[in-house]
Amino acid sequence: MTDEFKQTMTSDEQLIRATLGGDMAAFGKIVERYWNMVVGLAISKIGEPAEAEDIAQESFMKAYSQLYSLQQPSRFAGWLSKIAVQQCSNTIRRRIRCQSALGCKATGFEEAETKTAETGNDRLTAGQRYFIRERVERLPEKFQKLILMRFVGGLSAMQIAEQLGKRPGTVRVWLHRAYKILRKDLSGILEEVT
Amino acid sequence: MDCEKYKKLIEKYIEGTISNEHVAELKTHSETCEQCKEEFAQCTVLEDVVREAFSSRMSAEEGRASVMASLSAGSNITMRRAQYNLDWLAGRRASIAAGILLAIGLTLGFYMGRAGTDKPTGAKVPMRIAELNGTVLVRHEGLDAWKVLKADSNIHLGDTFHSAARSAFVLEMEDKSRIEVNQNSMLVLKLYNGQTQFFLEYGRCTAALESPHPPFFIRTPHGRVEALGTEFTVTVE
Repeated sequence: MTDEFKQTMTSDEQLIRATLGGDMAAFGKIVERYWNMVVGLAISKIGEPAEAEDIAQESFMKAYSQLYSLQQPSRFAGWLSKIAVQQCSNTIRRRIRCQSALGCKATGFEEAETKTAETGNDRLTAGQRYFIRERVERLPEKFQKLILMRFVGGLSAMQIAEQLGKRPGTVRVWLHRAYKILRKDLSGILEEVT
Repeated sequence: MDCEKYKKLIEKYIEGTISNEHVAELKTHSETCEQCKEEFAQCTVLEDVVREAFSSRMSAEEGRASVMASLSAGSNITMRRAQYNLDWLAGRRASIAAGILLAIGLTLGFYMGRAGTDKPTGAKVPMRIAELNGTVLVRHEGLDAWKVLKADSNIHLGDTFHSAARSAFVLEMEDKSRIEVNQNSMLVLKLYNGQTQFFLEYGRCTAALESPHPPFFIRTPHGRVEALGTEFTVTVE
């Protein structure tokens, strides 16, 4: 999504104002705008698309119920991503409790492979998808978030800077560093896919 | 060939700030320049594979429908309630300060022998405390002492209510209309033109009125707010 394109869309601030005024459809537009980004963030923490979608849903519902507390509507996506990460941490804590108390099995690679194969995307094999996720998760936290907001969420570097309250120059530098690392780490897959 | 220019454009592509015209220009150039073609292809493929690896099985439209359905089904998910709760969280520091002040005030009142001994002089009004959370103080007209409001306290004309941080209360009138007074608020019951009027000195209160209702106002230091519908919130900072 380029900045030019964004300008033609209703801004987050306008949609949030409308939502606070009782317009539920406006919140629907916000969900549609950031659904992929939140699911992507949740997958990076949880690993399973089905569970990540549940977390995304919970995150949006939490964001809706706490919308009044949002101080800067222009940073909605940054705020939402924090909520999503928090929801993921809660899920991981629940998992750990479940594993220690009931002896539940952690999701292994084979199980994850089966589940990810259900996504219906044919370009990548389940193994490749798993490998890409693993490489992105290896990135430093700040790079990881940028890559997901940029490539999965479709936000530009300028928009990410605004959402995260960072300087645009800093975000651009981090983005290029993250891109360089990923390009090196994923060179094998990129050759296979190209 | 000026590849420097196209390298800059590829950087812009990565940053997501490239215009459609420049993308077209880049594609045209890539047809004749192997190096830029390779560079651009790697860039687009990397973006695609990352997107695919982290993609949702549901489309954004389906995601929206799912969230909206859950919001509609979950009647307990309201924004107003959240505002109330978050005000409590946001006021943690204020709550400690207010708690200390309250303790000092009550101790002083007790030692001066004034707390709980004075009788209100104003007429009793047909209202009751429907809900009470935390610490709410009440001062009767003409008296200096503050008393802790109780659920069964009588309400008198001229009463001043002060809700501490993390505290709130609801006044219910005869016709079941309610006024919810939020934390850190001061509300005074005054007689105006022979009628009981609510004066919000500061803080926030929400009135939920039974329909139909007679003209209803909440006065503030900045002016008078009239109820046109059945529910409204007044905030005085």
